[in-house]
Formats: sequence, structure tokens, C-alpha cells
Amino acid sequence: MNKIDPWDSPNANDRQLSVDEAKILDQLGLTGDSRRKFLSRVSAASLSVLASPFFTAEVFGKAISNNPAASPEELLNVILVDLRVNDTVKPLQLDSRMTLLDALRERLQLTGTKKGCDHGQCGACTVMIDGKRKLSCLTLAATCKGKEITTIEGLAGEDDLHPMQAAFLKHDGFQCGYCTPGQICSAVALLDEAKEGEASYVTEAVGEIKEDIQLSEEEIRERMSGNICRCGAYNNIVQAIMEVQSGEETPARWEFASAEQMKKAKSS
Amino acid sequence: MKNTTPSGTGNPIDRVEGHLKVRGMAKYASEFPVSGKVYAQAINSTIAKGEITAIDTSEAEKQEGVIEIITYKNAEKLKRYDEELPSLLPDVIQPVLQSPKVHYYGEYVGLVVAETFEQAQYAARLVRFEYRTEEPRIHLDRQRSDAYKPEESSDYSRGDVAAGMAEADEKVEVTYHTPIEHHHPMELHAIIASWENGEVKAYASQQMIDNAAITIANTFQIPKEKVRVIAPYVGGGFGSKLHAKQHVILAIMAARKIGRPVQLTVTRQQMFTNTNFRQQNEQKMQLGAKKDGTLTALVHETLSHTSTYEEYQESCGTVSKMLYKVPNNKVSHRLVPLNLQTPFAMRAPGEATGSFALESAIDELAWKLKMDPIEFRIKNDTQTDPSNNKPFSSRLLTECLRIGADKFGWERRKMKPGAQQEGNWLIGYGVSGASRAAPYRETSSKVKLELKGGKVYATIQMDATDIGTGSYTIITQTASEYLDIPVDQVSVELGDSLFPVTPGSGGSWGAASYANGARVACMNAIRELNQKLNTDEDLSIQALLEKNELSSYETTGTAKPSEAFKKHSVYSFGANFAEVWVDKDTGMYRIKRMVNVGACGKILNPKTAFGQIIGGLTMGAGMVIAEQSRIEPKYGNFITRSFADYHVPVNLDLANIDVVFLPEEDKIANEMGVKGIGELGITSVAASIANAIFNATGKRMRDLPITPEKLIMAEPEPDAI
Amino acid sequence: MRPFVFTQAQNQEQALAAAAANETAKYLGGGTNLIDLMKEDVERPSELIEVAGLGFQEIKSNQNGGYTLGAMLSNADTANHPDIRRHYPLLSMAMLSAATAQIRNMATNGGNLLQRTRCPYFYETSMPCNKREPGSGCGARNGMNALHAIFGWNEQCVAVNPSDMCVALAAIGAKVQVQRVNGTTRTIDFSDFHRLPGDQPEADNTLQPNELITAIELPKPAFSKHYYYLKIRERSSYAFALISVAAGLQIENGTIVRAGLAMGGVAHKPWKLTRAEEFLTGKLPQTKNFEQAAELAMREARPLEDNEYKVEMGKKAIVRALTQAYEKNA
Ligand SMILES: Cc1cc2nc3c(=O)[nH]c(=O)nc-3n(C[C@H](O)[C@H](O)[C@H](O)COP(=O)(O)OP(=O)(O)OC[C@H]3O[C@@H](n4cnc5c(N)ncnc54)[C@H](O)[C@@H]3O)c2cc1C
Ligand code: SF4
Ligand code: FES
Ligand code: FES
Repeated sequence: MNKIDPWDSPNANDRQLSVDEAKILDQLGLTGDSRRKFLSRVSAASLSVLASPFFTAEVFGKAISNNPAASPEELLNVILVDLRVNDTVKPLQLDSRMTLLDALRERLQLTGTKKGCDHGQCGACTVMIDGKRKLSCLTLAATCKGKEITTIEGLAGEDDLHPMQAAFLKHDGFQCGYCTPGQICSAVALLDEAKEGEASYVTEAVGEIKEDIQLSEEEIRERMSGNICRCGAYNNIVQAIMEVQSGEETPARWEFASAEQMKKAKSS
Repeated sequence: MKNTTPSGTGNPIDRVEGHLKVRGMAKYASEFPVSGKVYAQAINSTIAKGEITAIDTSEAEKQEGVIEIITYKNAEKLKRYDEELPSLLPDVIQPVLQSPKVHYYGEYVGLVVAETFEQAQYAARLVRFEYRTEEPRIHLDRQRSDAYKPEESSDYSRGDVAAGMAEADEKVEVTYHTPIEHHHPMELHAIIASWENGEVKAYASQQMIDNAAITIANTFQIPKEKVRVIAPYVGGGFGSKLHAKQHVILAIMAARKIGRPVQLTVTRQQMFTNTNFRQQNEQKMQLGAKKDGTLTALVHETLSHTSTYEEYQESCGTVSKMLYKVPNNKVSHRLVPLNLQTPFAMRAPGEATGSFALESAIDELAWKLKMDPIEFRIKNDTQTDPSNNKPFSSRLLTECLRIGADKFGWERRKMKPGAQQEGNWLIGYGVSGASRAAPYRETSSKVKLELKGGKVYATIQMDATDIGTGSYTIITQTASEYLDIPVDQVSVELGDSLFPVTPGSGGSWGAASYANGARVACMNAIRELNQKLNTDEDLSIQALLEKNELSSYETTGTAKPSEAFKKHSVYSFGANFAEVWVDKDTGMYRIKRMVNVGACGKILNPKTAFGQIIGGLTMGAGMVIAEQSRIEPKYGNFITRSFADYHVPVNLDLANIDVVFLPEEDKIANEMGVKGIGELGITSVAASIANAIFNATGKRMRDLPITPEKLIMAEPEPDAI
Repeated sequence: MRPFVFTQAQNQEQALAAAAANETAKYLGGGTNLIDLMKEDVERPSELIEVAGLGFQEIKSNQNGGYTLGAMLSNADTANHPDIRRHYPLLSMAMLSAATAQIRNMATNGGNLLQRTRCPYFYETSMPCNKREPGSGCGARNGMNALHAIFGWNEQCVAVNPSDMCVALAAIGAKVQVQRVNGTTRTIDFSDFHRLPGDQPEADNTLQPNELITAIELPKPAFSKHYYYLKIRERSSYAFALISVAAGLQIENGTIVRAGLAMGGVAHKPWKLTRAEEFLTGKLPQTKNFEQAAELAMREARPLEDNEYKVEMGKKAIVRALTQAYEKNA
């Protein structure tokens, strides 16, 4: 099998940007070196997705706006919270009923965290709070004072994908992409839990305590069962996680039948 | 001379939009920061049949932030159906809040718009409705005498099935049940709607942009040109986002009324009642065969339901008409109108459920004949579609079965159930065959070429969608191949009704249609540029632009099915193999591994194609493991009302899956030889698992899903153990 | 969600005082049950008093030779605590079978004790339910009750307690420590903590208004070698139990000297199988004894229209859990 990584193409660096594309990168705050690095990793195709006509101004024009929810007196039971997300603190006035999920999506425009059910039943809203994976749809924003929240937007470095993000990309650990931020946050936390030696329901001997455990496929599946993927990318997700954990390449599970196989099948 | 670009079709490149998805930067419908937007929450009826007699909005109106409350009393008048029980097609009108009548539990009866999501949700709880309640019709079984024949094509017959059954040495006469299932894509249906200068703009989670625009235009009786639908990313659909549903209309109506953009998200609970489902089916099968395995008769009769206001029929019997060579065949479909919402296409409508019945029954008959179920299928394989006598454009079912058997280790299977055990586990092997129509539809696209810094950059635009199917990627690869430029010089823009019209994503026609649409546009560009030069030299696209002294060029192209297509039966084929371990006491079981073989034309990108297959297998496994929506017998609501009650498969439910693609290019199907793959996986899986459970336990499970409680209570077949 | 006042208590006195001052206030633990039910409009508190920050996060050994678990500690940290894994692996296993890693990271021990039934009639405000709205009738009794009780139910309510942790606590035999507004504390025996519906189906437990759960006390460890938590469910993970069995055996010289056995998914409270436990004591760990214990345990089962299967499944589950516990060694 001939594997090609189109992102390695040297062309990406020096190619000409359209006005729209350049505008986007400016708005993303990427200039100079970091712009070049970003470009070398983001394909022209995906950048152009950003550059679609409907996308530019509306999305990046007002990245973090402090509003929809009008003046404070319109809100009942206003709560003041300094929300610390991905190392940035945002002082927010919000309704005591507002969940962390809605605060991220509707107030901070951090829409990477997804709403798949709003009731703790799917895992799409998974974020890390003080390093632990939790569900932002059942977490009131009001309870997040003084806590450190990490969302999908906070995982990648300025120009590098987090290894888990890269592995998901490589192993096609998604299709529609809607459960993906939750899966990736969950998977990142999962590897920390494995380091700590945490057990799961399928752990053979709960009473034996080990640290830095290498997770079997079964263990990964059980521990990732809190993230539903309706597209059914589970097998690829498991492969991505196994590869990040072990550092060893996990081979693809598809193949083409050979001419010989075809001949044999026809004749027998 | 042409270079072959390694990144053209056939190569397993990563998804081109993948970077955005893993960073959380891909924008889905409800994520566009439209300024000044407000939030809406729809209200559902709490009765299944009757009429609203009184509405009290006073408490809700008093609440902070509430802007507007819409019910049938003050709703804008929309176009209404002018016939009784119109067919639910993807572009029908979707009137909502037009009368006090209630047709099913959970029907929209109102909408609250407020400044914030929290305010809208709360106020929606405070609107009080009084109803005059009528006895709802919600039992398929009890209402079976109301069954009617929906349309001519729902009945089919050839030969004489009575004679065929009389000829048979072994017979199977059994009934299979499949429950209501829900699509449940992970992204909740959502829309942000606004009106500007008499035009609608809708960021909406839709699989088919053009159909959505038509539905919106016709429902509001405005020209389609005044409707813009935008969906660059769709978080899964599986059929539930094929047409613009009532929530789309509600949000647009509200936006017009209050003069501000309105965001409306359908809740997960509402996705049980307001975004369609796959209906319940009762499938009666009669099969007969001679001792040597020759099928003599096949009868497939389906009873299911539609709503009381629209008609939809899922053709479960289609597979039985064409999959095997059987001279005597009868297929019928009957519908009972019930007080439930209208069912609508869910991944492989007809095939997913129909093949469960057919491929289970085939296994039952093979068992009676004491014949290997693979050999039995091969014995009745055919190269001519027996339902219309057209040749298949290509059909590699036998190859799928044989190659899969080798890969899977089928020779280790014991015919006798329960013969393989390990500890508390009974181990069974099962197989099934699959077929899924490979349609292909007229598709247009635009290509824009730009010559910059000595390189050609191409942008392809079409109103296609990528619902996880890989459209962005395969279109990129197609353009790269036909223009002969690297993929990173190709941009693809999708999901906007301003772009050329495609059939959208559904029915497994997406890949073939989109790729061919892009191909034609690229080839047109090359041809037109050649014509301008009046040469037929084989020049690169760069040379063509340079010689024409053009720095940019754009053109469009449209691909259509050929005459040859119409003269053939065009299907994808497959086979699935499953190894299932059943706990001998608790009724719990695990699918340990599966091998799937697909003959589905040219594989544009094996990486994304693999995703489609395992995705289908996962959803098919869900049909077997636990998916079912159950109706409360008195109230007519779904008792499985949340994602915690409706169990879709989780990671631990799945097993190792190996996928083998057969090398084929079906040039009759279309010029690129591509056939559908998105629904083939789900088509083959349920029966293979049920057959494996029989092989493990001797129990025939004819009623999906196969839950621990059913397995514990089931008895093995008398002759099995 | 209805509007509510959010109160972040700084210490337990403040929390108790706030609760005493408002009849319709509720403590907020991890929120995994309460916030869900508030979104469903089933729970309607006018005030939430956050107790997560009050301390009570420790696991300490106690004077009975057992351990005391802080009520505000998360289910994940409890299940993974080395002392719990070593000495009460049955509890760890049961807790790890529940929900998902994300939910276990949020859920507190106190909140878990109080999680409410998953009866769909209870969740759907348009349907009758005596637990949600006393006097409105029990929708499940004559409706769809495949997931409901086979023990201890009455016409008022046929719901089951959904907790896995509580099944293990019942098998192990725990106590619940609570703090009252007047500053006094009390300790409730685990078997008295949850209740049967009786004529008060709205009450899941015997906690008095405003009482704050501060800890769970565990007795001296007994089942650290032979234990198993069997959970039968509709998918392999992230689902509540149809039936679950917590089995612990203390075996000395080949004989069972103590058995701890409880079932989940069968009654309004975690169902301790006292008779089966007594029967097994002094017996050999053999299949026929396990089968007899299961027969004894299920003798008084009274299935509803849709859940006959639970009797058969229950018997098999008990035998299997005991067998696994016996065969398991640490
Ligand atoms: C999708 C889903 C699946 C689940 N699956 C399972 C499962 O399989 N098995 C299982 O056992 N559980 C399961 N759970 C339930 C979960 O275990 C409980 O929701 C959790 O244990 C509750 O703890 P909490 O801290 O979040 O409680 P909260 O939701 O915060 O509170 C619950 C109740 O306890 C009260 N309360 C909280 N702390 C105290 C205190 N210290 N003193 C007095 N009162 C207090 C609150 O007022 C409230 O009434 C699941 C939950 C979800 C959402
Ligand atoms: S079983 Fe209990 S919780 Fe369920 S409807 Fe009846 S009273 Fe309500
Ligand atoms: S959105 Fe939070 S778990 Fe589904
Ligand atoms: S990628 Fe679509 S739900 Fe997981």
C-alpha cells in the first residue's frame, strides 16, 4: 500500500494566498513564522473551506464576543464568573442556569465543544476540567470559578496538532466530525488515567495496583465508551489511541482482493 | 504527457477537511456567530390525537427575555397540502402550526423565542395547552385490519409461488419483526434563520441543499432564488436530514415575525418525535428449495405503518425480487396509518430491514437443507436481474462470499449449533449476502482555475454536502486527477445553495454523482481551453492557461446517467461474516470480529470508504444489539425517550473488523466506475449476527433487537441442539 | 430549567444554614443527576447549594477497622483509591461498571446514594407518576414495566434504584453519615437508608429534609479476594443494569465463612439477599450451593407483566456472580 501524506508537500509554504485566505490567517493571529508553519500543515483544501464566502467575516470577524445575552438586568440570578478556558480568562456575567457547554458555545464562540444530547448521554461535550474529563452539559458554568478548563481548541500548539489530533487524522477516527472534539479530549485524558494506573470495569484484577499501564484494545474500548460516535468510527478511534499510546504504527484494516483471489473465487 | 498524480482517486489520503475537524474548527449549523441572534425552543404536544382547545401563554409571556410566542393562533399562514396523504418526498412542503389538530404525540404545537437559550427553554415549559383527546391509533398489530396498499409498485410477482412451494423439498415459513429505529446523528438538527430584504438565509443541518431550498420556498410561497441554505458541515444525517423539516420552517417563520435571526436546535428528545424514524416492520417470509439447493419460491410480505397525514413506504421486499435466481416470487407491502409521525428513509431504507428477513430466512433454509449457507447462496446466484430481466452492470456476489470465507476462516465453522465453546461462551459464525442499489443522479459543478506563481490552483464548487461521507476528499482527489495537479492545489467548497445543483447526500449516490460532476467540469475546462487554441495536443492545464494567456478561467459541467445505465440493473454487492460469543447463561453476547467484503465499483479513497463500511456495520450491529423505540400503549409517546433509553452501539460493542474491497470498476454505472458504499455495510450485517447467534445457541432470533432478556427466554429450535 | 439562586457554600455550616432557610433548596454534588432532572423539569429547586467545595474528599481508615469515604469525593477517585481497590475491590468494580469515565469523574459519593430512578414515566412530565407527582398514579404499574421491580413493589410504585455503587455497598454492609442543621450527626445503616415505596413512593430514602451526607462508612474488609460485580445490560457499556449482582465471598479452609450478596435493578432499593447469604455461610463454594442460594433469593420474586425474564435472569446472574467471585483470586 502506498501511503502519501499530502500535507508534507513543500508547495504549501510558498503558495500564494487569496485575499480571503490571507484575511483569515490575520484574523487567526497567524503571521510570519507561525503562519508559514500553519500553512505547511493545513492543506490548501481545508484552508479554502475556511475561506468559503459565507465563512469569513461572520466567523472570524468577532471571534470572542462578549454578548448575545444583552444587558445583565435581562438575566435572572446573574452570576459573575471568571471563566479560565485554554489559559485565557474571560469575565462573564451569566444566568445561573447556563451550563459550561452553552457558555463555551454561545458566549465564548468556542464551538469546538459539541452538544449531542445536553443530558450526559453521549460525551460530545467532553472537556477537561482541572485535567479530568468531564461533561460540560451537566456542569453549571457557575461551578467553574477558579477551575482550569481545556477544550479541543486548547489542545493544539500554535502550529502543531496534539499527537492525539494527528493520530485521529491519520487513522480517520471520525467521519462527520461532530463527536470528534469530545472523543479527542476524552482520549487525551484517558492516557493520563492510564499513566495513573486507573482501573476500569474490564480490568482483570482491580485489586492489583499498577502504574503506567498499557491499555489493551478491550480496555480502550471500555474506557472510550462514554463517547458515542453514531458514524461508527470506533475501530479507527481505537487504532489512533493505540498508536499514540504505544508509539507503534497500527496497520490499516482494509485491503483489496488480489487478481489471484478473484480468479480462485470465480472458478471454485 | 500526463503525470499520474499519486493523490488522485484511489489513494488513501487523509480527509482534506480533517484538520478542521480535529481542531474543533469545522462549523456546523448552530455555530455561526450571526450577530443579534436570539434563541427559540419548540413545544411539543402531550397527546397523540385530538385538538387543542385552549392555550394560555400569559405565564410564559411574563418571563424575562421572552420575545415572542407562536402557536397556530398567530402563526403565519403557510402553503398546506392539497391532497390527502401526500407522499413524503425530500422536497415536499412542511406546513407547521397551521391548525389546532394533533396527529401524534410530540407534534409541534408552539414556539417560544427569547433572548437566551435558558430563557426560551424555561418559558416553553410555561405555555399551557388544553386538549380534547381522542383515542390514538398506535398499535400496528391491533390496527392491522386498516392496512392498505400504498401504490401499484408496492406489489410484485413473477411465476407461481404456490406451485413453487409445492415443488419444494424444504420450506421456511416465518415472520420477522424489526422495531422503530431512530437515525440519531450526533449533531442535533439545528438552524439559524434570518430574513433580509425578503430573502431567507438559513444555516441549517441538511443533507440535500437544493431540496431544503425548495421545501422552504414552496412552504413560504416565495421563489427559490430568495432562499439561501448553507451547510458546509453536517454532523451526520443517515436520512434524517434529507428534507427540511418543520423546525426549519418554524425558525424561518419566527425570524420573519420578530425581524431578528433565530437559532433553533431540536433537542435529543425531540429527535424521537420530530425528525422521522425508520418504521416498524413485520415481514412474512415463505421460501422453498429443492434438495440440491435450488430455490423454487420466495414470498416476502411486509406490513408497516405511515402517519395519518403523509405517506411513506419503505420497500423491504426489494431485495427479495433481485438477490437470488428464483422463478416464483411475490413481494408486497401494506401500510397502516397510525398516530405517529411519518417514517422516513433511514440508512439503506428497505435493504437494511428487508435483508435481515431475507438473509435470515436463507440461513434457516440452508440449515434445513443441511447445506452450507455460502454454497446455498452461490447456487442461486445470477448475473441477470430476475425482477426485470436486465443484466446486472456487474455482480460479484459469489466472489464476495468466497473471498470473505477464506479471510474469515469459515472452514472452522461447525454446522451444528453450540459445537464451539470456550468457558461460558458459546461461539457462533454467521454470514449474509448484501445488495444495495447504486443510483447515480444528475450533478453539476463549477471549476475555477487560477494560475499563480507558475502553478494552477483549482476550486470546485457544488451544493453537495459532506455528512461524514468524505465528499470534500473524493471531490478533491477527482479534480486533482482530471486536472493533473496535486491535491493541495485543489480547493473544494460545498454546502451552499449558491453553488451548482447536485442531488445531495442520500441514497448512496453521493460519491458517484459528486465525483462525476466534478470530473465533467474539469474535463469541460480542458476541452474548452483546447478549443480556444484549436489544438488537440495533450497539454497540461498549466500550459493550456498559459497558451491562452489566461490567469484564470471558470466553467461548469453536468454529469448524467447514460443510456447503458438505464439498460442495466446497477447494484453494489457484499457479504458479511460475524463471529459472535454468547454467554450461555446471562444472554449477553459480544460480536468478536467481522469480515466484510464489498464489490462496490471503483474505490475513490479506501480510507474514507473503509469508514463508510465500518460505520454501516456499526449501525447494523446496533439494530441487533439494542436499538428500538418503544411506544407507550396508552399515551402513544416513545417510552424510550432519551439517548439513555435508546441504546446505540458504544465503542465496547464493536469488534475487530477487516474489510476487503474487490477490485472492480463498473463503467456502466458511470464513467468513473464508482458505486455507492454508504449503505452497503448496514445492509449486510444484522442477519449475519443473528445467524451467528443461531450457530452459537440454536436459537432463531427473528425479532430485533436481540436483547439479553429475549435470548434468555428463547428456546432453541427443536432439531438444533 | 427553572430559575434558581446559586449559592456556593464556603463551609458546611453555611450549607446547612442555607438549606434550612429555604425549603425548596437542594444540595448540588456533581450535578450528573440533578442537572439532568432540572433540565427535564422533574426537579424544580429554587436554590442550589454547591457542596463540592466543602471538603469531605478524603478516604480514611476508621475505628471499626474499615474505611470512611468522603461524600464529596468523586466516584472515580473513590473507585481508584489504592485502599479501596485493595480492600474493597467489589466496590471498585461496581463503581467502575457505572456510567462513563466522564460521569464518574463528576459524580460524588453522596450524590450517587441519592440518584433517582430512571423510570421513563418519572422522567416524562406529561405522564402520571406517583414518585414525581404524588397521587397522579403510577404509569408503569399498568404500562410498560420491563425495566421495573420484581421485589418489594406495590401499586403505588414499581420503580427500581439505578445505582451500581449502592448494590456493592449493600453487599458489603455500609453506613451513611449525615449532618443535621442543628449541628448533630447521625449514622444510618445502609439497609435502612433506601426504602421501599410503601405509601410514600416519592421518598427514595430515609434522609430528613436538609440533612447533608458527609461520609460513607465501610466495615472491616472481608471480600478482598473473592468478589465479582456482574452487570447485565442492553449494551456492553454506558447503560444501566437490567439486573446486577454484587457477590463477595470470604473463604477459609475451603469453606464459605461469610457471603455478601445484593442485587440491583430488581427493587426500589438495593436488594440485599440476606437469606442466600445466610444459606451460603458454612457451605462449600460449589455450583449446587450457588444454585440453591439463587433459588432461595428469587423465591419471593413477584414479576410484573413485562419482566418475567428478570426472575430467570436473576437466578442465572446470582450463580454466575458467585462462581466468578469464587474463581477470581484477588
Ligand atoms: C447517562 C448517565 C448514565 C449513568 N449510568 C449509571 C450507571 O450505569 N450506574 C450508576 O450507578 N449510575 C449511573 N449514572 C448516575 C450517576 O452515577 C449519578 O448521576 C451520580 O452518582 C450522582 O452523583 P452527583 O454527585 O452527580 O449527584 P447530583 O446530581 O449532584 O445530586 C443528586 C442528588 O443528591 C443530592 N445531593 C448531592 N450531594 C449531597 C450531599 N452531600 N448530601 C445530601 N444530598 C446530596 C442532590 O441534592 C440531588 O438531589 C448515570 C448518569 C448518567 C447521566
Ligand atoms: S414506577 Fe414509580 S417512578 Fe415509575 S411511574 Fe410508577 S410511581 Fe413513577
Ligand atoms: S452533550 Fe453532554 S453528554 Fe451529550
Ligand atoms: S464522527 Fe460523526 S458521530 Fe463520530
